[in-house]
Amino acid sequence: MDETVAEFIKRTILKIPLNELTTILKAWDFLSENQLQTVNFRQRKESVVQHLIHLCEEKRASLNDAALLDIIYTQFHQHQKVWDVFQMSKGPGEDVDLFDMKQFKNSFKKILQRALKNVTVSFRETEENAVWIRIAWGTQYTKPNQYKPTYVVYYSQTPYAFKSSSTLRRNTPLLGQALTIASKHHQIVKMDLRSRYLDSLKAIVFKQYNQTFETHNSTTPLQERSLGLDINMDSRIIHENIVEKERVQRITQETFGDYPQPQLEFAQYKLETKFKSDLNGSILAEREEPLRCLIKFSSPHLLEALKSLAPAGIADAPLSPLLTCIPNKRKNYFKIRDK
Amino acid sequence: MEQANPLRPDGESKGGVLAHLERLENQMSRSRKQSEEPQSVQAQERVLGTKIQKLRHLRDDLKAAVRHRRGSVKACIANVEPNRTVEVNEQEALEEKLENVKAVLQAYHFTGLSGKLTSRGVCVCINTAFEGNLLDSYFVDLVIQKPLRIHHHSVPVFIPLEEIAAKYLQTNIQHFLFSLCEYLNAYSGRKYQADRLQSDFAALLTGPLQRNPLCNLLSFTYKLDPGGQSFPFCARLLYKDLTATLPTDVTVTCQGGEALSTSWEEQRASHETLFCTKPLHQVFASFARREKLDMSLVS
Repeated sequence: MDETVAEFIKRTILKIPLNELTTILKAWDFLSENQLQTVNFRQRKESVVQHLIHLCEEKRASLNDAALLDIIYTQFHQHQKVWDVFQMSKGPGEDVDLFDMKQFKNSFKKILQRALKNVTVSFRETEENAVWIRIAWGTQYTKPNQYKPTYVVYYSQTPYAFKSSSTLRRNTPLLGQALTIASKHHQIVKMDLRSRYLDSLKAIVFKQYNQTFETHNSTTPLQERSLGLDINMDSRIIHENIVEKERVQRITQETFGDYPQPQLEFAQYKLETKFKSDLNGSILAEREEPLRCLIKFSSPHLLEALKSLAPAGIADAPLSPLLTCIPNKRKNYFKIRDK
Repeated sequence: MEQANPLRPDGESKGGVLAHLERLENQMSRSRKQSEEPQSVQAQERVLGTKIQKLRHLRDDLKAAVRHRRGSVKACIANVEPNRTVEVNEQEALEEKLENVKAVLQAYHFTGLSGKLTSRGVCVCINTAFEGNLLDSYFVDLVIQKPLRIHHHSVPVFIPLEEIAAKYLQTNIQHFLFSLCEYLNAYSGRKYQADRLQSDFAALLTGPLQRNPLCNLLSFTYKLDPGGQSFPFCARLLYKDLTATLPTDVTVTCQGGEALSTSWEEQRASHETLFCTKPLHQVFASFARREKLDMSLVS
């Protein structure tokens, strides 16, 4: 086994927390059951890793096997990366998409290898019709850097792909080209949507975040929901603003629905608007040029936070459509200009 | 015995006369009393008798009144009871009606297209089926506004919902729904065939089934006699018509590669025709039956 491969596998296994180790190794399916049984996972981590490397050497792990382990690790730790969303489009009057996974993989790999001699491309298919692609980039003269790969998750027969944000921006156009041509599209565009939570991005992009539907079979009518006010409260207590509270609750429910919100960490608004002021003769008001300003809202769970603003009394209901349109418009980066 | 002599000397005669008068008076009052007593008694008797009669009368009246009242109460009860049973019957009838309606609404699922009114429009439910098997359901929640728009839905991403909506939603909603039903039913049917092939006929496949999300490109290798010496066949099925459950293009090749004997060539060509005309799992079912038949002939 190549030293670089051994080192690569070692560093990957070292990243894996001990409690996940057996699960990930089983998903990797490279070491056999018998081999895994010989390992004492209760030892110190360094000893476990040594033993595993030894077993990998026995089985002559290749770079591909190591790359596959890296993909699996990343699949288990998706939140460690920030994901961008790309949308592809076909020309008008295109034929029906007869997606062939083998053809796609071959085509994708060939395009990259033709452009850059040194590149490692690995694939792993998942059950939700997605293929995870790992690309380690080299140049014409240098070997691929296995420690700074780019991941692409492509959902076949859809125009959408998710790419892990990386600092190596120069390869993005080539990657886009490879993806577009291999999937038989014409164009690729980056959407103004970014998050660490791949599942939430998928829910937003595929418009699958609201999956509650009214049917005749549902036993609990959708109208039945607690207004958030404690109905078991003492009847001697009267809410002063109950009418207002109910109005706010109703508007919040209409805007955000009853379903769990997809998880985003921020929303960014770039304003390029002229200064508007009530005071005449203000210096800023006389400027012809628009002011540029950046507003960023951050939260561990932005949409749930926005949903709770009006009921908590911090903001008026209805909220600004700029905030509530995020999942619907599938963007959390906005550029606002004067019309 | 001294004879009462009225002519007796005065003293003796006065005593005699006055006493005599007194005696006569007493006699009279006594006899009057005696004659009066039975009279008063009689009167009293008469009085009491009338009283008794009155009381008896009253008693009879009251008895009659009680009887009458009892009778009328009974009549009332008799009247009321038939009313109550009518109410119970009505309630049962209503419950039965409700169950019927619920059953009818559920039965709408079997028509493939049903809906429920919502506060903003209608939630349409498309129930797909293939060969009499009820498969997945998909929902489209429509907002009835101008323009008509889709609020949210559970249609898979690879079904061209936006295209169909762009063509028909605003102009002809029936066409929109039927077109969407077509696509979804065809997709469900193709998926069902591929799933059945993978689950029921894995023994005849020599490698994994290659499929894509829309199940419109299937590629697999199979052998008619799993343990035997024959060459496996490679089949590639293309479904270019997304509203159909049968392939538009079928290529069957033999992995042997070299020129095949005529019998193999015939088989290959017949398989191609079979895949074009019959659902995938049925073709494999016929392969399995033939295999069983062959086996039974051999043994």
